[in-house]
Amino acid sequence: MELKDQIRINAPRERVFAALNDPAILKQAIPGCESLEATSPTDFTAVVAARIGPLAARFTGSVSLADIEAPVRYTLSGEGKGGPAGFAKVKASVELEEDGAATLLGYSVKADIGGKLGQLGGSIVDRTAQKLAGEFFQQFDALIAAPAEATDDAGDSKPVVMAQPPARGVGPVWWGVAAMIALLLAWMALK
Amino acid sequence: MSAKPDDRGSWMGTRLPRKEDLRLITGQGKYVADIVLPGMLHAVFVRSDYAHARLVNVDVSAALEAPGVVAVITGEEMKSHCRSLRQPVLLPNLPAKYPTYYGLAVDKVKFHGDPVAMVIARDKYQAVDAAELVVVDYEELPVVLDPEAALDADAPRVHDEEADNLMFEMTFTGGGTDEERAKNEAEVEKIFQSADVVVKGRFRVHRTGTTPMETRGVLAEWSASDGLTVYNTTQRPHIDRLAFADILDIPAEKARVIAPRDMGGGFGLKAPFYRESVVVAYACRKLGRPVRWIESRYESLMNIGQERGQINTLEVAASKDGKLLALRNRGIADVGTGQIGVYWGFVMPFLGAVEMPNAYTWEAGDTNLKVIFTNKACLTPSRAFGHFPTRFAMERAVDMVARKIGMEPSDLRRRNLVPRLPYTSVTGEYYDSGDFLKVWDNLMVQVDLPAFRKEQAEARAQGRYLGIGFGCGVELSGVASELMVPMENQPGYGAATVRIDPRGKVFIMGGDAPGGQGHETTISQIVAATFGISPEDTIITTGDTGTTPFGSGTIGARMGSYFASAVRKACDELREKITHVLAHDLGIRATMEEFAFTEGEVVYQRDPSKRKGFREIAERIVMFPINLPEGEVGGLETTAFFEAAKPMICFNADACVVEVELATGQFKVLRWQTSEDVGNVINPMIVDGQMQGAIIQGLSNAIFEEFIYNDQGQQMTADFEHYKLATAADVPDVKVTYASTPCPHTPLGTRGIGEGRPSAVPGALCNALVDALAPFDIDITELPIRPSVLWQKLKAAGAV
Repeated sequence: MELKDQIRINAPRERVFAALNDPAILKQAIPGCESLEATSPTDFTAVVAARIGPLAARFTGSVSLADIEAPVRYTLSGEGKGGPAGFAKVKASVELEEDGAATLLGYSVKADIGGKLGQLGGSIVDRTAQKLAGEFFQQFDALIAAPAEATDDAGDSKPVVMAQPPARGVGPVWWGVAAMIALLLAWMALK
Repeated sequence: MSAKPDDRGSWMGTRLPRKEDLRLITGQGKYVADIVLPGMLHAVFVRSDYAHARLVNVDVSAALEAPGVVAVITGEEMKSHCRSLRQPVLLPNLPAKYPTYYGLAVDKVKFHGDPVAMVIARDKYQAVDAAELVVVDYEELPVVLDPEAALDADAPRVHDEEADNLMFEMTFTGGGTDEERAKNEAEVEKIFQSADVVVKGRFRVHRTGTTPMETRGVLAEWSASDGLTVYNTTQRPHIDRLAFADILDIPAEKARVIAPRDMGGGFGLKAPFYRESVVVAYACRKLGRPVRWIESRYESLMNIGQERGQINTLEVAASKDGKLLALRNRGIADVGTGQIGVYWGFVMPFLGAVEMPNAYTWEAGDTNLKVIFTNKACLTPSRAFGHFPTRFAMERAVDMVARKIGMEPSDLRRRNLVPRLPYTSVTGEYYDSGDFLKVWDNLMVQVDLPAFRKEQAEARAQGRYLGIGFGCGVELSGVASELMVPMENQPGYGAATVRIDPRGKVFIMGGDAPGGQGHETTISQIVAATFGISPEDTIITTGDTGTTPFGSGTIGARMGSYFASAVRKACDELREKITHVLAHDLGIRATMEEFAFTEGEVVYQRDPSKRKGFREIAERIVMFPINLPEGEVGGLETTAFFEAAKPMICFNADACVVEVELATGQFKVLRWQTSEDVGNVINPMIVDGQMQGAIIQGLSNAIFEEFIYNDQGQQMTADFEHYKLATAADVPDVKVTYASTPCPHTPLGTRGIGEGRPSAVPGALCNALVDALAPFDIDITELPIRPSVLWQKLKAAGAV
């Protein structure tokens, strides 16, 4: 399964990048997110509760990042397990592009879905995917656009943190987890 | 009952309404799920989400803590407490790689749906909930799904202990040694080199099969004194009994299997011995309480009912005047894991390869089959056992020859039908009796081909595309020991116990296990006809190994051939005894033939005043066995066995008319006409129903149904939304006609029917579609055939 899209976020690129690394924001933006946790500088897990069609499940997602080039792009690979509901394996790349004062967030995902989730197929899962992806980006946009004026300074400082993400800590990775989970839910849908 | 015996007072050949239907349609049937035992527990399987993965850890601790849970069983426990399913009683006498496997997966899961653990709880809901708490840690392995790629040296292996994925290979022609086979290949090649016409196709048939209304179910009970009793939805309880005993290591006399009297269809998929049954039986012994498992539809579609799945590259050589000369086939069967008892997935394609030459005369043949392991559910038998794909290939190839030389396909078929039986095919299959030409000619009378060609031409002038397609099929009428022993390691004979009670009622006990075919009715007609009583005065018991003689099961159209014949033989033995005693009582010397059993009486035909009621004579022999003829003892019960020296067949020919809508590729089957040799018919209504059902199944398989695995080995068709069955609106009214020849090898002249019957369907259907679209010169070599596929072909041909 492949999924590609580009979303316009009403904030400058570095701000978006920063927000993508803010666990608090991500946790709020990801529908049903219960926890985000680092297990190592490049490996992360998250727990998300979701309902897709007749299946209610708690998904445990793990993700590893690579090719980090802040604040422009990342690749990530991950796996989400939904217990009896099934699983998804994901490879994704993300790219941020400046668009005036806003940012175009482009993502491209390849996913393999297994178990009952994969078998559901069709319109139920499709609709759920679109709904979840939509909810994520809407919420994300709202969260980072609102305090825009007040955080100009923070915006200046964060790219520094991000400039060497592997060395400086887990920053960029949070974004990866977020994308992973949001997209995971989306493509689960798309079988 | 509304039906009456015929003019001669016989119930044979009567459209007697089915005895079993009253209880079945008023909700009084008793299926396995209707059986409730005190203290019964409920089992649910945890199944693999992956097609191929190492089992790193199976953590059952949380499930064990869940409410109502009594036990959770894993593969490791099965391995340490039971033998594998690779037991001699379940192994064919054919050289193949037989994987060792247990009730549950050990070390690896090998297909999406592989059972990993079984959770047992006080009720089913608790078991389902707890099953979700079993945490399985999988380490994914690369999958092998394409049977041809599976033979590559570096392909992942389905079974680690095997050197490669080639499960079975056999050449069915030429002889026993490599030298003989090479010589045969060369001779066949020579025919191909010099033939006027050669056609070749790569005929691919998808995975499809049967989906009985009732899924599988097992209820097992353990008692210290009596051992194991298993109520099992099985077509062959007696084989199951031996398998349970061997795998659980209990004395065979302590194992009893009961196939419930009512089963909601089998169609072959309840014939194998399944691993789930072993786990349930093991659990009941371990816990000392009855344990029941009822398969969900989801599980059923994930695990069983998947057959066909072959690629046959078939070449046919013919002369330009329409004489078929030689066939050459290279078959590939995608067997999946090969893990089902009795059949191991490969016995079906094996028989399919044997049956490929069909009813035609060939000078020579060269056929080879490779059966290949993949990470899919194991093939399970489905009606038209193994030869749905090979017959599709053959019936298409025959039409391709006809088209190439410009001959009517029906004429070409008639010209090449085996003119006289018995006959042994190029693959060694024995055709015992019948008259293929008579059946064919009857079909052509039904069809009126010249009239159709006129209709077709007129329709075409109006822009409507009609087509006619033909197909035929030699089908097994039961399977004689000669073939059954090598193929399935069990006998072919039929067995029946017949007991007449003091009130003149007749009890019949059979070791087979029907699943809705109407055995109660059919057998009652045979018994009623033999004893001159009413079908209502018969009681049939099947499927209980504790009370019935050994039977190989309700499989391969054994009813009309083997079981019916055994019943008749047993009845005849009792008639002999009854007339012997009666002649003695009447003070006359007379043979059995001099008495008539009619209208509830036994009548001395030379002097009809000498007669006695059937009930009275039964009571006299059973209850008052004094003053008997010398050497005779009381009682009226006997067991008879029937075995044919050679395999027997039945034969059918089909014609169908289709209309295709050019713009969309949509097509409709307008008519389906058949001509059948089913031997003497016991109940025409039941035989009609078998044929209609079989043809509709064939259409559903060919057009609608398809088991799909994605490129990760995920099975994507585990519900009836995705595994689409034909509905009433999709299928034609099937007109069944008969041109029978009584079978000379059975006491009633009957043949076993219905099992192989769907196999003629896909060829006839596709031949009709190709005929309809003849102006565009399209061909069909793959199933399923759907409007979308047809439209693509039409588009490629420039028709739309």
